[in-house]
Amino acid sequence: MLSDPHSPALAMQGIGKQFPGVVALADVDLTLTGGQVHALIGENGAGKSTLIKILAGVYQKDSGSIRIGGVEAELRTPRDALRLGIKVVFQEIALIPEFTVAENIFLERHPVNRIGSIAWGKLRADAKALFDRLGFAVDPGARARDLPISTQQMVEIARALAHEARIVVMDEPTSSLTPKEVALLFTVIRRLKSLGIAVVYVSHKLDEIFEIADTVTVLRDGRHISTKPVAAHTQDSLIQDMIGRRIEFLFPRARGPARSDVLLSVRGLSTKDKLRDVSFEVRAGEVFGFFGLLGAGRTELAKAIVGFDPIRSGEIAIGGQPLRPHDTRTGVALGIGLLTEDRKTEGLMLEQSVQHNMSLAALGGFAVAGFVQEARERSAVQGFVDRLRVRTPGLDRPIRDLSGGNQQKVLLSRWLLRGLKVIVVDEPTRGIDVGAKSEIFALIDRLAGEGHAVVMMTSEMPELLGLSDRIAVMANGRITATMPRADATQEGLLSAAIA
Amino acid sequence: MPQSRNLLRVLTRRSEGPLLLCLLAVIGFFALASDTFLSVRNITNVLGQASLAMMAGIGVAIVFISGEVDVSCGSLLAAVAIPLIVVMNATNSLALGIAAALALGGVVGVVNGFLAAYLRINSLIVTLGTLFVLRGGVYLYTGQTAIPDDAGLESFFQLGNGRLAGVLPYPAVAALVLLLVFAYVMGHRPFGRHVFAAGGNPDVARLAGYDVPRIKFAGFVVSALLATCAGIMLASRLGSAVHVAGLGFEFQVVAAVVLGGVSLSGGVGSLFGMALGVLILSFLANGLGMLDLATEWQLVVTGAIIIAAVSFDEFKRRQKL
Repeated sequence: MLSDPHSPALAMQGIGKQFPGVVALADVDLTLTGGQVHALIGENGAGKSTLIKILAGVYQKDSGSIRIGGVEAELRTPRDALRLGIKVVFQEIALIPEFTVAENIFLERHPVNRIGSIAWGKLRADAKALFDRLGFAVDPGARARDLPISTQQMVEIARALAHEARIVVMDEPTSSLTPKEVALLFTVIRRLKSLGIAVVYVSHKLDEIFEIADTVTVLRDGRHISTKPVAAHTQDSLIQDMIGRRIEFLFPRARGPARSDVLLSVRGLSTKDKLRDVSFEVRAGEVFGFFGLLGAGRTELAKAIVGFDPIRSGEIAIGGQPLRPHDTRTGVALGIGLLTEDRKTEGLMLEQSVQHNMSLAALGGFAVAGFVQEARERSAVQGFVDRLRVRTPGLDRPIRDLSGGNQQKVLLSRWLLRGLKVIVVDEPTRGIDVGAKSEIFALIDRLAGEGHAVVMMTSEMPELLGLSDRIAVMANGRITATMPRADATQEGLLSAAIA
Repeated sequence: MPQSRNLLRVLTRRSEGPLLLCLLAVIGFFALASDTFLSVRNITNVLGQASLAMMAGIGVAIVFISGEVDVSCGSLLAAVAIPLIVVMNATNSLALGIAAALALGGVVGVVNGFLAAYLRINSLIVTLGTLFVLRGGVYLYTGQTAIPDDAGLESFFQLGNGRLAGVLPYPAVAALVLLLVFAYVMGHRPFGRHVFAAGGNPDVARLAGYDVPRIKFAGFVVSALLATCAGIMLASRLGSAVHVAGLGFEFQVVAAVVLGGVSLSGGVGSLFGMALGVLILSFLANGLGMLDLATEWQLVVTGAIIIAAVSFDEFKRRQKL
């Protein structure tokens, strides 16, 4: 099975992948060598996830070729990938929660005896032997659901080995591990190397890459930027490759400076899973931007400060009034609303009309004795449709029929109708075309100009630099830096986000 | 005593433990409350009555565990009796009659499975649809009356009414055998574990290379075939294909399955738990009948017990998280 260690274990050439309206990958190459760790890095949206999903057989490439051990391979399903010895360890743990660790390891193929019954004894013994070989202290009889995430991840890696994978892909494997667990993971990865396995290591954390990787490939905007030995890079040169030179979008900033009254104040906010001691204040007329890489905790922060998710400790005040955590009713009553990252599932009722989607949070205001006054509702909604220039064939059309940008305007209007003071927007331009983007920006600018406080979570640096008054950078659930826009650079932001 | 403590731990840890205690409590209560309850005759009668729900329940539990729902068994019970009786009347052959019944059951299972597993139409809606279609079809074909068994085969009569060694009704024997076979399959054959995985987390199952639609499809076919077996036993007991047979049966089965700890969201449950659920509800109905409690009250009590049991389960689960 062990081929010449210098022949490529896998060669992806000219890989292209499109999704409706987006080119996710264009002409990307990736060559893996057995016994080597190949790091894959890039900003959010650079195409790393798409590339490894193609390797896993979850997505199908539109163009290009994949050769494994010199032979052309088609990866149409996850089963194909497994059969060809490719095991992808995704960030979301892929274990069956009710099964034992041992059974999860052999999920792909339960060992059976002569009459086809599962050989539970062999299964447990094999799992135990595997753990011993890897130096894991995991009880093979424990249920997966009872284990901490880090242990589940170890189980996933063991699973790769149980199936004699020749190529192991790890997607952000350390995002939920403690330093001690990271050290153990690295021991395991070195072990994989010594077994001649090709490892793909996807990470945002540059120091990890310098420690563990042999080669680095940088992707940016779905394109292959560079592949070099890690020794040929410095931290700065890697960041340079990740950012590149970008066409700076210029956002029309029409509003004046922020006022002095604090509308949102967050003190020492921590949650059970993610956030650690987050504090900041946002003033009327201010756009406060949050930058962070995937999993930094921005979405969790957005959900906590509007009262959607429970918190462990800390205080949130809107216009000086304390917000009861985990209670969106008082949040809305005090004047804070969230424009969610996931419009389709958390923001919109897709089949319902533009009017109903917009008036949802404000219906009480149109009601007389508990009955919604349709005419008042309609005229208020029409007012916002005109004001924000929402392009819709009619107020009664299902919102599904509108473009992403126009859907986003309807959602913003939902909070404006309610007279909110603080608006939290999470990735406001995801899945929106460039023209609509600048309209959304103009809108956010105008809202701030009218005296609202805007909290904007985004991974798009140009947006952030163009629109914010101040920028906070998050990493691992903490704020690692806060700076006025004038002091912020792309390099500075990314360094703080990687820290 | 370490032995008894061990037993207690096993009882409380296994999900079947509390159910077994609950069953014993029900039996104990009625044994004290009624002097005819705890007779061999009565107990075996209850086992005979419970056997139909148990057979169908195996299939329904498998479908639930795979993450889908099947409520079509009530009408299927009545529908499969028609080819059974009609073919038997025409050919005088029990084997051909059973083959015809299984053929119809198989077709229903394939239709349910194809629509729900492959076309991804909500399985509650699909099987509710087949429940209506089959019942309507039975009414149309029979003209709202029963089709009597004219062949009068002794073997057919014995199927539902005979007793093994004169004690245990054959349907109860059949249910027990099927229960053991399928409990083995679900617990110790790769296929059974694939069903659990497909219901526990379909994405993981897919990534592990399982053909999730095919697993779910198989569940629907098995479920329809088991309901067919129950339908054949019932027809033997009734001595005819009765158009109203099995009305509301699907809800008894679903209630027992859920009471037995099978999760509606898939991936969790055991067939022994399901069987205990069936037995608890059957003994409850029998005992309450003996106490001369009006059937109206039996319904109220049964419903309350189901809600209480499932709530208990849910709270216990949440505490663990």
